[in-house]
Amino acid sequence: MLELRDLVKHYRVGDGEPVRAVDGVSMSIARGELVALYGPSGSGKSTLLLMIAALLRPDSGAVLVDGREVSSLAADDGARYRLHELGYIDQSLQLLPGAHVIENASVKLWLTDMRNAERRVLPLLERLGLGGRLHHRPDQLSMGERQRVMIARALSTDPKLVLADEPTGSLDTRRGREVLTLLGELGRERGAATLLVTHDPQAAAIADRVHALRDGRLVEYEPDHLFALEVSAVGGGGSG
Amino acid sequence: MGRLAAMGQGRRTMRLSSIIRLYRARLRARVVLVQELFALAGIAVGVALLFASQVASSSLNGSVAQLTSGIVGHSRLQLVARDPGGFDERLLGSVLRLPGVAAAVPVLEQRATIVGPAGERSAYLFASDPRFVSLGGTLLRRFDASALARQQVLVLPTPLAHAIGAGALQTVELQIGGRDVQALVGAELGRADIGTLVESPVVLAPLAYAQQMTDMRGRITRIFVAPRAGREAQVRAGLGRLAAGALNVESAGADADFFAQAAGPINQATTLFSAISALVGFMFAYCAMLLTVPLRRSLVRDLRHDGATRWMTVKTLLFDALVLGVLASCLGLVLGELLSATLFHADPGYLSFAFPVGSQRIVTWQSIALALGTGLLAATIGVLTPLRDILSRPMRTGAPERRAHRPDLTLLALLAGLGCLAVTTAVLLAGTVGLTGAIAGIVCLTVALPLLLLPLLGAIIALFERAQRRLMSGAARLASIELRSPPAQARSLAITTTGALAVFAGVTIQGATNNLQHGLNRLFHDVTSVADVWVTAPGTQNLLATTPLSGGAYGTLSRLPGVRAVGLYRAGFLDYGSHRVWVLAPPMTAAHPIPPSQLIDGQEATANARLRAGGWAALSQALADRLGLRIGDSFTLPTPHPATFRLAAVITNLGWPPGAIVLGSRDYVRAWGSAAPSAYNVMLAPGASAAAVRGEIQRVLGAHSALAVETAGGRELRQRAASHEGLQRLTQIATLVLIAGVMAMSIAMSAMISQRRPQLARMKLEGFPTGGLWRALLLETGLLLSAGCSIGALFGVYGQLLQSHALLTVTGFPVVSSVGALAAIGSFALVTAAAAAIVAVPGYRAASVRPYPAT
Repeated sequence: MLELRDLVKHYRVGDGEPVRAVDGVSMSIARGELVALYGPSGSGKSTLLLMIAALLRPDSGAVLVDGREVSSLAADDGARYRLHELGYIDQSLQLLPGAHVIENASVKLWLTDMRNAERRVLPLLERLGLGGRLHHRPDQLSMGERQRVMIARALSTDPKLVLADEPTGSLDTRRGREVLTLLGELGRERGAATLLVTHDPQAAAIADRVHALRDGRLVEYEPDHLFALEVSAVGGGGSG
Repeated sequence: MGRLAAMGQGRRTMRLSSIIRLYRARLRARVVLVQELFALAGIAVGVALLFASQVASSSLNGSVAQLTSGIVGHSRLQLVARDPGGFDERLLGSVLRLPGVAAAVPVLEQRATIVGPAGERSAYLFASDPRFVSLGGTLLRRFDASALARQQVLVLPTPLAHAIGAGALQTVELQIGGRDVQALVGAELGRADIGTLVESPVVLAPLAYAQQMTDMRGRITRIFVAPRAGREAQVRAGLGRLAAGALNVESAGADADFFAQAAGPINQATTLFSAISALVGFMFAYCAMLLTVPLRRSLVRDLRHDGATRWMTVKTLLFDALVLGVLASCLGLVLGELLSATLFHADPGYLSFAFPVGSQRIVTWQSIALALGTGLLAATIGVLTPLRDILSRPMRTGAPERRAHRPDLTLLALLAGLGCLAVTTAVLLAGTVGLTGAIAGIVCLTVALPLLLLPLLGAIIALFERAQRRLMSGAARLASIELRSPPAQARSLAITTTGALAVFAGVTIQGATNNLQHGLNRLFHDVTSVADVWVTAPGTQNLLATTPLSGGAYGTLSRLPGVRAVGLYRAGFLDYGSHRVWVLAPPMTAAHPIPPSQLIDGQEATANARLRAGGWAALSQALADRLGLRIGDSFTLPTPHPATFRLAAVITNLGWPPGAIVLGSRDYVRAWGSAAPSAYNVMLAPGASAAAVRGEIQRVLGAHSALAVETAGGRELRQRAASHEGLQRLTQIATLVLIAGVMAMSIAMSAMISQRRPQLARMKLEGFPTGGLWRALLLETGLLLSAGCSIGALFGVYGQLLQSHALLTVTGFPVVSSVGALAAIGSFALVTAAAAAIVAVPGYRAASVRPYPAT
């Protein structure tokens, strides 16, 4: 479903040497598959996600979704791609503060199926355990609940591809595990390819495959990398 | 890493250096810097409005007071003529011989029009002799006294000389009381010579030369007297004996007092409008601060989270207020100075008919202090706004937050707003609205506006919420959600209040000014329509036709073709108590000696008949009230030949703030001891054209005549223009409020758009198109603006009624009390158009933000 072909993205910081944010990354993710991608800060994870979301053009290489090149889409086409084919989850938990849970979850559907938006998103919210909180506002929710609303919003349009950037970054271990489990289950049920960028060691347990990114290159994941990644994450904080 | 920890804050106190470091660190974040700059600009606009209106108020009185003090020096008393004809200069000898007199100086002054190569200006011809220099007044202290006496030249302040295009050793023309004389400009006086008096409209001349030019040989109009120490009362008594009831004995600075009294009503009107402006300026500044509430709430949360005590947090916020308040106030002062220098001209128009009013700008320390204080107060209240909300609860990150506005707060605002509205209504219903009442009423109305906006906005948003569900539009849904979002409520309220205040102030001030202008226009029509063609002394200073005409043109005019009759119109100023009143006597043949629309008490036909019969007079209400007179009561006027009259009718002040008196023509001649008219009222024969007769009169009088000929229509237009000039400060304040409103709206909208960018970027990430987000932004702001501006317009109409009533009481002018829909629509359109432009263009750019995940 998702195929990355030799993606390259270099930055130049000031007058210094070019930084190889993503340096020849190739990978593919099938429908219903969840791939976890570990990497220390600055390893190029976020740059990779931005290119897949058609928010950043690669210097070379291609991002194919169902065989269609998406990394060089025009602005409007990119917007349509993100609306219909992509779900994006991050750790910011940035919901519309004035909107209830059901509204926040159905935001994307307002653009495609306004009349049925809330009806369509309702089962998803119940599945995420938010059935009793439909008319609560973000400021009345816990962090875990907010993240589940973000998941519901990302999946509301039945996207082919879900990108999750540190979705458990703001959560404690127990809530983090719940969120990851739900994300994996829902992705598989809906046949969405899910790329999970994380530091969370629990992600390896729910992922179908695990990769690691170091200095912009995809490297073989080894379980003992995780400790090193955690240490670097504590030192650097946030995703790369 | 915590902010306090980063600064090494282990102790429980916080040094100023730490606060400054924290402040600088925060400002490095672009979003904080931008929001602070918007707040700064918003406060500056409010301060500028306040400062400029204050300067306008202080400049007018100051200009005459400065000139008076510049002339009188250390003289304490004056003997002054009651008419422009003056008195015999030999009286000076008698004054000098009075016991206790240290010095006495003769003065001749006449209102004149000075004509140069580049134009003409109305001015006061002021003439004296070398003894005047000894009085030590600023105006003449640098003169070589003997030189002044010998020369046959005029001395002009540089601005006046430049205005008419005349320089030293050039010939100019002086038109004085129907006479036209040529004179040589001997010198110019610059700012270095006479300071701010350089802006005064005076023409200086040696006494003997002025007497020759005005054909007043041996006559003077004043004697300034400097008594010896402790002998003032004795000298005053001596002067009183010399005056013998035909001259006035006054303090030397009496002109400034007369002017203060004359300008009082218009100053009070300006005070009233300035008070509105000040309040609105403060509210603008406060609204600008409200826009930064989310930012500061986040700061407080971070500080408390990092272990700052409440007092540390308060100190940090107060430092914010200090920096913002001081910078914004300074910027506001500069902006206000620019506004006042470019927009506010202290030219009082009609007041210069009777007073030598200059155009200097006078900035007092009180104006500066008030403006600075307001800026600091707005900044302090603004930064402390979120404090109460946040300090009153435990700081728990991630915990569900309570609503920004509790229902009881909304209810409280509703009740308080209704209470304020009730006070305003009570003031309005009280009938006579004085200055204090009007200010109290308008303050209550202004305070009621934001208070009632809180519940009204809630209701409007709820209605929109219902309506948008039927629209099935993503943009409408987004707008609705944003409007009800608790963090956005302070911002929404700030934008709505800013728009409402801008329209409210614009409608109130513009509407009330329009009502005043309409009332005056009606008066001018009534006054000028007593004749078809007017022949008077020229100059804008003579618009009330108070300059006596020398020479007789009556016979010539009467014989002209197209002329049915020529009436002799007489008018002059009379110092009556503390008032310099306008006394006028239309011709016996005038159909309505008393302008019909200006009658307040008395029967028109009876009053007119009594005036024609003689021994009766009509007085303006303020004068009649001051003297406690009712119809039929008698009173004595201190005219050159004091005369007793009975009150025939009570009228408005005919647009002359100190008051007006209408006499019968014969009574005027008797009281003034002179039959010299101050205007010829030409009535046309049936079928004759006013323009043709005017042309014929001009031809007969000759090109060098010092008489001005104009049709009634032309004169009416000129009077309208002069009154418009006189009310300029009111219209300028109205304009300034509108400009400030538009600027405040622009700043508020820009701040709002700037705050929305991260959220817009996030929505773009979800696939929202630019157009959809832009429409949501337009809908949201459109709703806020239309709600705010509509409510502001409604309040403005209410304010306009209140102000019109107040102006009627305060100025005594014939104000028309009406609701000016045009003013309301104009202000509404201007503010909303400016705001719409801000949303439309930068809003679109903001909606075009690059989609990006939040970091």
